[in-house]
Amino acid sequence: MHFLDFHFFIDMNDHIRLSNNVLYLSGELSFNSIDLMDQDIQHLIKTEKPITIDVSGLVSIDSAGVAYLEGLLDAIKLYSSAAFLQGIPEHIKPVLKIFSSSEVPKEEIAEKMGYFEKIGDNLITTIQNFNLSLVMAADIFFWAFVGLFDHKGQRKGSFAQQGLILGVQALPVVALLSLIIGFILSLQSAAQLRNFGANVFIADLLSISLVREMGPMMTAIIVAGRSGSSIASEIASMQVSEEIDALRMMAINPIRYVVVPKFHAITVVMPILVAFSILIGMLGGLIIAVGYLDLSVETFVTRSIEILALKDILVSFSKSTFFAWVIVIIGSYFGFAVKGGAEGVGKATTNSVVASIFAVIFFDAVFSLLYL
Amino acid sequence: MTETINKPIIEVENLVAKYGDNVILDNISVNIFPNEVTVILGGSGCGKTTFLKNILRLQEPYSGNIRFWEEEVTQMDEMQFNNKVLKRIGMLFQAGALINSIPVKDNISIPLEQHTRLPMDVIDRIIKTKLHLVNLSHALNLLPSELSGGMKKRAALARALVLDPEILFCDEPSAGLDPLTSLALDNLILNLKQRLNMTIVVVTHELASIQRISDKIIFLDKGKMLFNGTLENAKKCGIQAIDDFFNAEKHTN
Repeated sequence: MHFLDFHFFIDMNDHIRLSNNVLYLSGELSFNSIDLMDQDIQHLIKTEKPITIDVSGLVSIDSAGVAYLEGLLDAIKLYSSAAFLQGIPEHIKPVLKIFSSSEVPKEEIAEKMGYFEKIGDNLITTIQNFNLSLVMAADIFFWAFVGLFDHKGQRKGSFAQQGLILGVQALPVVALLSLIIGFILSLQSAAQLRNFGANVFIADLLSISLVREMGPMMTAIIVAGRSGSSIASEIASMQVSEEIDALRMMAINPIRYVVVPKFHAITVVMPILVAFSILIGMLGGLIIAVGYLDLSVETFVTRSIEILALKDILVSFSKSTFFAWVIVIIGSYFGFAVKGGAEGVGKATTNSVVASIFAVIFFDAVFSLLYL
Repeated sequence: MTETINKPIIEVENLVAKYGDNVILDNISVNIFPNEVTVILGGSGCGKTTFLKNILRLQEPYSGNIRFWEEEVTQMDEMQFNNKVLKRIGMLFQAGALINSIPVKDNISIPLEQHTRLPMDVIDRIIKTKLHLVNLSHALNLLPSELSGGMKKRAALARALVLDPEILFCDEPSAGLDPLTSLALDNLILNLKQRLNMTIVVVTHELASIQRISDKIIFLDKGKMLFNGTLENAKKCGIQAIDDFFNAEKHTN
């Protein structure tokens, strides 16, 4: 053996050998073997800078092997400016041909959006969404009004069915949460009121806060989470599975057929749910008033009623109706605007709940400012 | 001749499949040989897809034996079945079954990332070559919802091929495709068989496709296997249900 040959001969293992700037690969080049060979080969390419890969000793190769081989040739080009493949055995030629990436078109890299561009883009999308939801709201109001007098385009019994789903089935969860909220609210207040000997004012405090604020808002948040999400997901699923298109093709207005019964039902059941929530919340407060502050049931009930003005009750019910409309409009908007498949339905539902809760709290603040 | 030389790659013995009390597959016994395209055909509801699901244990068989590479799989636990069988096969589902929330390239990279320890640049190359193989290079970054039905099927095929499976199962690959796309898919299946010695099992009832690709056909009718052999022999076998099937298909084509 020539001295120079000896100098340039490196035998990494049974399957990798380097001699005279030629990297010899043998055995199997596959999904399972690449991981075991990669470190040694990369080391040789960096240190010895071969310009040719000889694959005459390869017994088998698969698509991972072909991809790896092409990657090696690219890496060699980086270090040596040229790279060659030699000794391709006949039996691996078809595999090399079928899995070669030489004919794969170059990937077009999309221009990345800048930070401020992203903010602007999101802002424009939000404004567009808001505008479109207003258009949908107008559509819903129009058809809801028409639907009061003309039941065409609505399924028979859908109002009662929706009333049951949106109202009656929501009663247990509204009752439970309202009881807990009334209980906590009065417990926190009671500790302070007791310090000043103002025990009797617990009824006033609870009555005003539940009727004007907590009742409508908490019920609206529960309904947004429970019914708003179901409205959005139902409509989004119908949109994705082309049921909405099918309705249109049957010359049926989908808003009239799908949304209006929900709109009518929630308009009726929401004030009832709020009234129920207030009553149960007061019951929670009564437990604390009687048990902790030693008030009589009669005093609590009398003061609770006396403190309320007609305006409070009207504001409470108008708020609750308004929130109900907001929930249906937002749920319907996100349902109809769904894009994609099952993933889109999930996104529409989440967006609808987030937007509904945000809108309920925002409009509650507006109502509070208007009717102090 | 082939049957006597080659050992079967899949052996199914007395397979019975039931939904409740309904017998869907009644005592099916069949061998599938390597480097052949075996077509399972029959009318709608004859148990074709159930047969496929049972041998791949997507549904547990009611009774019977199934062997892949001479190893009994009905008694294997999930881990054994994954390692010994599922990592060596690919499955193309009827509607593609791509994961809708992630782009095509991520759909294809799932098996590579989960079952190999390849460097990322090799994974990228494999994804691109497999997509190129199914003529879908431009769809790399698209979401499945942005693809047409045929494109979804081709993307799903790229995913099924990503680990160079030894056996490829296709459930109605041509269903809902135009004749050109269907022809391209059939050519690809033949290409895979010839160049990569792949064994392919196809469930279909499209006669044009069967004529192009099949080496063997298995004909199912009302859960029973009526015929197992070549297409030519099937046409000459004189079984009424098979004759009716081919005649009806001829008229519809």
